[in-house]
Amino acid sequence: MPAMDREAGPFGKATPCIAGNAGSHQGTARYSFFYMNFSLTRAPPILWHNRVLTRRPGKSMLRVLTIEDDAVTGQEIVAELSSHGLDVDWVDNGREGLSKAIAGGYDLITLDRMLPEVDGLTIVTTLRNLKIATPILMISALSDVDERVRGLRAGGDDYLTKPFASDEMAARVEVLLRRNSVPMAQTRLQVADLELDLISHEAKRGEQPLSLLPTEYKLLEFLMRHAGQVITRMMIFEEVWGYHFDPGTNLIDVHIGRLRKKIDAAGQTPLIRTVRGSGYAIAEPV
Amino acid sequence: MPLPNPSKGWSSSTSRLLALYSFLFVAWSSILMGVLYFEVSGYLNKLTRHSLLQRQHLFAHMSGKQLDDALIASQAFEERSFDAYGLFDAQFNPLGGQIRQVPAELGLDGKIHELSRCLDAEDPRMPRDSCDAVALKVADGRWLVLVRDNGSLFVVTRIILHALLWGLSLTIIPGIAGWYLLRRRPLKRIRAIQASAELIVAGDLTHRLPIAQRRDELDMLATIVNAMLDRIEHLMHEVKGVCDNIAHDLRTPLTRLRAQLYRIRQQAGDGSPQAEHLDQAISETDTLMARFRGLLRISELEDRQRRAGFVELDPRALLEELHDFYLPLAEDGEIHLHLKLPQSLPSLHGDRELLFEALANLLGNAIKFTPAGGQVLMRATEDAQGLHIEVQDSGAGIPESEREAVLRRFYRSEEGHRHAGFGLGLSIVAAIVDLHGFELEVGSGELGGARLVLHCRSRVAA
Repeated sequence: MPAMDREAGPFGKATPCIAGNAGSHQGTARYSFFYMNFSLTRAPPILWHNRVLTRRPGKSMLRVLTIEDDAVTGQEIVAELSSHGLDVDWVDNGREGLSKAIAGGYDLITLDRMLPEVDGLTIVTTLRNLKIATPILMISALSDVDERVRGLRAGGDDYLTKPFASDEMAARVEVLLRRNSVPMAQTRLQVADLELDLISHEAKRGEQPLSLLPTEYKLLEFLMRHAGQVITRMMIFEEVWGYHFDPGTNLIDVHIGRLRKKIDAAGQTPLIRTVRGSGYAIAEPV
Repeated sequence: MPLPNPSKGWSSSTSRLLALYSFLFVAWSSILMGVLYFEVSGYLNKLTRHSLLQRQHLFAHMSGKQLDDALIASQAFEERSFDAYGLFDAQFNPLGGQIRQVPAELGLDGKIHELSRCLDAEDPRMPRDSCDAVALKVADGRWLVLVRDNGSLFVVTRIILHALLWGLSLTIIPGIAGWYLLRRRPLKRIRAIQASAELIVAGDLTHRLPIAQRRDELDMLATIVNAMLDRIEHLMHEVKGVCDNIAHDLRTPLTRLRAQLYRIRQQAGDGSPQAEHLDQAISETDTLMARFRGLLRISELEDRQRRAGFVELDPRALLEELHDFYLPLAEDGEIHLHLKLPQSLPSLHGDRELLFEALANLLGNAIKFTPAGGQVLMRATEDAQGLHIEVQDSGAGIPESEREAVLRRFYRSEEGHRHAGFGLGLSIVAAIVDLHGFELEVGSGELGGARLVLHCRSRVAA
């Protein structure tokens, strides 16, 4: 796929359109600090692979708690998230995990569904009963939709089944970490000269209005809400279509291709980038 | 799945046995009667000749008046229909006795001859049919013809024949009645066995053949088959268990493998010679993981009869969504994707997500197997049996011999490996269809390619 080779080079700052008024809407100071840093400072070019949350000056690294009983998987999660500039604590049993999670201070928890001592589902339920709202990514060997529903209903924020690709996991962690970054009250999204009106559902590139099909609109909105972040194909399928199986082939790619043709018309700087092996991201060009 | 019908009875083992038995009975009784007849008739013949010989000897030495008196006296003692005589002069003119004419076939040599047609006498009491006769020249030059009827032989023959007929009819008529009654019970049991076997073939491996507790051959056979089924069920569980265990056990190493490859890829940096190989390795691992998820998904679908997600849903919205989802892919492959829906469609009871997945698989396959410029049609129809959702394409189609097999796990067309991942997708479809109690029909359609119809029965007991 020629598209795969495009994104190889360094990629500049990823600037969510709401950067300007981010501070006033953030749920926590850490988010807003990180966000402002990310959007306002000209950070050195970041490779796509080690993209994102890194390069924050000093102290306030985002902290992630990983509760995972399999050592290798746990180490892998730690390694992957660390490479994204996150500070990861890893515990290998449910009891310790629960007490650490309650002790707090984490921005996100990755939680294995099946754990010795205290079950993953119990941890989520307990945390939510204690009004601890830390985003939780559940990682489970149980892929059944019922299990997913149960996990999410108990208070999990996202659900990933084993075997998983670590970049998929990292992409979901990032989306969860920044979930509150675009306030719901937002009525307009913008990436470079691409604008999306969330009320009238109109899109335009520069002065050129774009006619989008409903699905294309949903897809674009999803990408733009997470501008600068890698969105995997599976996440797109889950979010835009609402299904949780593997549609196989290159269906999502085809839909992205459609959208790309409309947004990045000939002669314009492409905004949607393919991230090798992982997914897509919409961001301002360098 | 209906099993081949048992015979209507003519070829059942009872019938065969009875037929063989009847045949042997008839054959043996005929032989027995034949031998009896042969022996009896031989003996009677001997008696006839003997008595004739006695009379011949007696009369041979008499002459004149003495002979006449002796002949008349003998008539008083002997039954006329058995014994008769005729006395002739040298010119063969009749002189006395019942026989008025020398039989033509009778040789005048003093030896006993067996005549097939005896006498042309009008007297009904005279022997008419076969008889033994002798012509002798008595001492005074006259000819004496002595005849002894074989009538007793005929009587014996008739008795034997009657015995045979009665015996046969008394054997065969109750035999046929007995056969009719006898064959009914085993056939009834065979039908019961057939019904059970059909359930087992349909997939209910916990079912067993009925045993009548009569300890006969059918029970023995059913017991043997049941023992075999126990073993098969056990093995199936084992295989399934092994399959699932492998899948579960390999989950973690696969995750690790993918992660480590990904990590090495990160370190290798772009443009390095390893990078390309690593990308390939990662992509292969992703394929592997996708297969794995598919496998696990099937066993989950098969294991759990989950109906929690079942709702009444509108098939129109579902099908339109599917159409929109696949339209870009079809257009990229220069395939015309049509959606034909009637004015009104009944609602469907099922799991929306699973039905979407199943139909997505069918549609994805149809598009995959249709060459550029071809057509794919998705159509819904309704009749008394419920809703039918049909996906057909103008591709190569599925050979008739493979139509049942394509729904099996890991099935691959024998005509070369056209596309990867052919079997698993359809197995997922089959599992979903089973879960809903629907039916999937694989055939060929008017577009020339494969035609897969999902028969959605209006309501299955949930």
